[in-house]
Amino acid sequence: MSEDSFLLTVDGLSVSFFTEEGVARAVQDVSFSIKNGKTFALVGESGCGKSVTALSIMRLIAEPQGKIVSGKIVFDEKNLLELKEKQMRNIRGNKVAMIFQEPMTSLNPVYTVGNQIVEAIRLHQKKPMEQAWADTVEMLHKVGIPDPDRRVSEYPHQMSGGMRQRVMIAMAVSCQPKLLIADEPTTALDVTIQAQILDLLDKLQEQNGMSILLITHDLGVVAERADDVAVMYASRIVEVAESKVLFEGPLHPYTQGLLRSLPRLGISAKRLQTIAGTVPDPLHFPTGCKFHPRCPIGNSDKRCQSIEPRLRQVCDGRCVACWYAPGYETEQEKKNTN
Amino acid sequence: MIPTLLGITIMVFAISRIAPGDPVSLSMGPGGQLDAARAADVRKARMALYGLDKPIPVQYAKWLGRVVRLDFGDSLKHHRPVIDIIKERLPITLTLNLIAFVLIYVIALPVGVLAAVKHKKLFDRFSSVILFMLWSLPSMWVGQMMIGYLCGPTFENWFPPAGLSSNYADQLAFFPWLWDRLWHLVLPVLCLTYSGFAYLAKQVRAGMLDNLRADYVRTARAKGLSNAAVVFHHAFRNSVIPVITIMATLLPAMLGGSVIIESIFSVPGMGLLAFEAVTTRDYNVVMAVATIGGVLNLIGLLLGDIAYAIADPRISFEGSEL
Amino acid sequence: MSTKSQVRESWGTSYGQMVWREFFKSRLNTACMIFIIFLFAAAVLAPFLANDKPFVIRIGGQLHFPLFGDLQPNDYCVFLAAIVGFCQLLLVLRNHRRVEPSIRGRVFWRQVSINTVIMVTGIILIFIFVPRRLDATDYKSMVASGKATSAYFAPVPYGYARTDLKSREQPPGREHWLGTDDVGSDVLCRLIHGSRISLSVGFVAVGLSTVIGIIIGAILGYFGGKVDFLGMRVVEIMMAIPTFFLIITIVAFFPRSLFNIMIVIGITSWTEDARFIRAEFFRLRNQDFVQAAVSLGLPLRSILFRHMLPNGIAPVLVNATFGIAGAIFIEAALSFLGFGVAPPMPSWGQMLSLGVSTTGRFLWWLTLFPGMAIFFTVLTYNLVGEALRDAIDPRLRKAA
Repeated sequence: MSEDSFLLTVDGLSVSFFTEEGVARAVQDVSFSIKNGKTFALVGESGCGKSVTALSIMRLIAEPQGKIVSGKIVFDEKNLLELKEKQMRNIRGNKVAMIFQEPMTSLNPVYTVGNQIVEAIRLHQKKPMEQAWADTVEMLHKVGIPDPDRRVSEYPHQMSGGMRQRVMIAMAVSCQPKLLIADEPTTALDVTIQAQILDLLDKLQEQNGMSILLITHDLGVVAERADDVAVMYASRIVEVAESKVLFEGPLHPYTQGLLRSLPRLGISAKRLQTIAGTVPDPLHFPTGCKFHPRCPIGNSDKRCQSIEPRLRQVCDGRCVACWYAPGYETEQEKKNTN
Repeated sequence: MIPTLLGITIMVFAISRIAPGDPVSLSMGPGGQLDAARAADVRKARMALYGLDKPIPVQYAKWLGRVVRLDFGDSLKHHRPVIDIIKERLPITLTLNLIAFVLIYVIALPVGVLAAVKHKKLFDRFSSVILFMLWSLPSMWVGQMMIGYLCGPTFENWFPPAGLSSNYADQLAFFPWLWDRLWHLVLPVLCLTYSGFAYLAKQVRAGMLDNLRADYVRTARAKGLSNAAVVFHHAFRNSVIPVITIMATLLPAMLGGSVIIESIFSVPGMGLLAFEAVTTRDYNVVMAVATIGGVLNLIGLLLGDIAYAIADPRISFEGSEL
Repeated sequence: MSTKSQVRESWGTSYGQMVWREFFKSRLNTACMIFIIFLFAAAVLAPFLANDKPFVIRIGGQLHFPLFGDLQPNDYCVFLAAIVGFCQLLLVLRNHRRVEPSIRGRVFWRQVSINTVIMVTGIILIFIFVPRRLDATDYKSMVASGKATSAYFAPVPYGYARTDLKSREQPPGREHWLGTDDVGSDVLCRLIHGSRISLSVGFVAVGLSTVIGIIIGAILGYFGGKVDFLGMRVVEIMMAIPTFFLIITIVAFFPRSLFNIMIVIGITSWTEDARFIRAEFFRLRNQDFVQAAVSLGLPLRSILFRHMLPNGIAPVLVNATFGIAGAIFIEAALSFLGFGVAPPMPSWGQMLSLGVSTTGRFLWWLTLFPGMAIFFTVLTYNLVGEALRDAIDPRLRKAA
């Protein structure tokens, strides 16, 4: 894998939130890379830091409570974290776009749908009004909204959830961004609509050649649509791999637990498998490996309880952060432990 | 609308009739001047004259009939038709309140928005304290302090303590007359404005803070819009909607405040009229003022509703209920 | 003993306790509560703080206690109310330590009912048995002339009704710390006694308006449909007339008295509460626990007040606090205009109106001090209301 086929590289990103009750380290030392034209999935439970990671790429973290403490985000050979706000605004909506989870509240209720898309187009592409409106109608058509000429002057509250999400996608893709960040785009939608929206994203990806950073907690979606996957747990990435490879043989106990807990067709079982315990509070992380209290290996292992394993590449295209993952420890380290 | 108007008239009428005593006995004064038999006769005649001997619903119907034609009877004190007095006084109160209204909105909107944008910084904290104190200041105290400290011989003498125009005003040309009028209006308008301004600024700030945290603001920023565009074009446009409904609460408060302020500054408006009428037990005027006050308020509320329906595309004109 | 404290720990913190803790986190709020307690103390202990009768006086070798002998039935009622209220407060604290949460509500209401009965019987008994005194003896001149050998007066040795036309309209000085008004009464004394008027108007009027508002709002919200339609018309009519206009209209037709003022403010201010409760009940009506209560056949009264109301009470409490500030302001405004309580009853608003004398002189001490009293009282209650709202809201948000 050569560097130039990577569209976006996140390197050592750490984000903290400074609250009255203490400092919450929402994202710690997160690194991953997104290839050109591919879909990269960031998976994890609620509160693990995946949304914060996405917002950091867009530099939409609310200061002063939140702060990007350290790291680099390289996009188009520039470190996004070092850009001035004006330059960053040029990138938002233009080169990197984002769609959010709640289509109900993510659109401004007092402006028409067309108005909001035109705003994005006119902001980044100096087109005259008529051209922008024409483009808007075409975008609505592209995302599969029927009767776009009429819909373009409707207000968000007059549309269904699925249609609103399509409008969001239209708005995001209107300036042909190179990277689309989709933060749980289908979580708030019906299952049938989910499939449609994901198909739409695939189609747009093919047409525009853009990369997608798909943030989700739904492993089914990951299996179907993602090329590469990173699994996050409690502010850290615990495993990175190509999607197919991950599902065939997960290395990290957390990923293994997640896959085990998926209900499967054709297998009769008395109970669903779960991962014992709950996600830790970001204000009070456990010592050592953050997963150790719930890990079948780690909850009794002294090393897991005291020293946190860093994310390491174990073979081509695979990284994992677990002392007991195969290939994690070098021969030297194994000798030192024993 | 109509039922509410009717309801207002019923309530005002009911109050006047529930009250102990009646206008005739009061206007006749404590008995004993005339001998008993003649007093009884005079009383009967007077009651018949005013229609007070008929059953209550009939009285109400008759009164309502007159009110609809804007005939509120005669003022017991001024001995003139009430409606004439009101015609003289109403424009003054309306002018005062309108100026105050405009001032309130013009000042409160920027202050509220600025405080929300600079949330938790010095301007926000400082203005919050000031606004809160302004909101709690009793208007009669402020008015009286102003008169004492700014209008009198003992301290400063910057403003006139009473009235709408100086005594020599009718001898002035237009612009000097206007200037004199404005000079007289400064303090009353100030008193009328400050508490409404404090309330509105707080509401604007609260609304802006809520809206700035909304999801669609995050979307707007993600589109690459500048902070100014996000604040004014997106957040503010949404914050304006509840601010319009606040007009519904401000208007009656200001009409009520007029009573106090006009009586302190001796401004000859509806408020002062109400005050005098209550003091002198001039019932016709009291009822007229209450009815007209209610009608004005309703008109204001209606305008507010219309403005709200225009501002918020989620509301249609079919009279939705909040 | 460990099991007892373990049991107590398992109770967790109630909603009220959470709000209490959140409220007192800020020092400003604590200061406000201290001021309110100070106001209450001034109101309850007024006859002991400002009185022209001495506590004890020695006349011809004999000790007399004129001040205690001159206490009116009103004073005894106020003392009774204060004692009952204080005991209730102690009981509430004890409830939180000793009584299990699930029955705490019932216990609380039982205590409140018993206390109310005690108060009402006490008031009736007081008015029957305690005669109205009127002791017009001028004790100060007795001391001055030497008839009395020693006497201990209250800190502010003036009566609020005592007029002294020789020293009218005096600015603050050694004799009268805050000056005198137009008939020679001491300003500080009238301020202290005036706190009784203001606080009683505040609480009675707000209590009345809250009760009316809750009942009407509950009925409208629960039944909906036609009842709600008609009811909302009535509410709209009440809201259509500017409140102050309505109040002065009523005041115009009825005789001036403190009682009338309380009632008038109470019956004109209930619309806000009614709307809150109605909105809450609309929301709650369709929730499952209400349907469950209905299907169990519980009586309407029980459904409304034991099940639905506790959920919607929070904004009503906040509104009530603001209402107290508003009622105090309205009473002051009415008295200022001359429609409220009549002298010699002390009212801050009435004192304020004397600030500009009939001759046009500006008597700054009659403007500044009563005005400050009104201002600080209203400010404090507004702050408390605001803080309560903040204490309640984040709880709801965090819990949601």
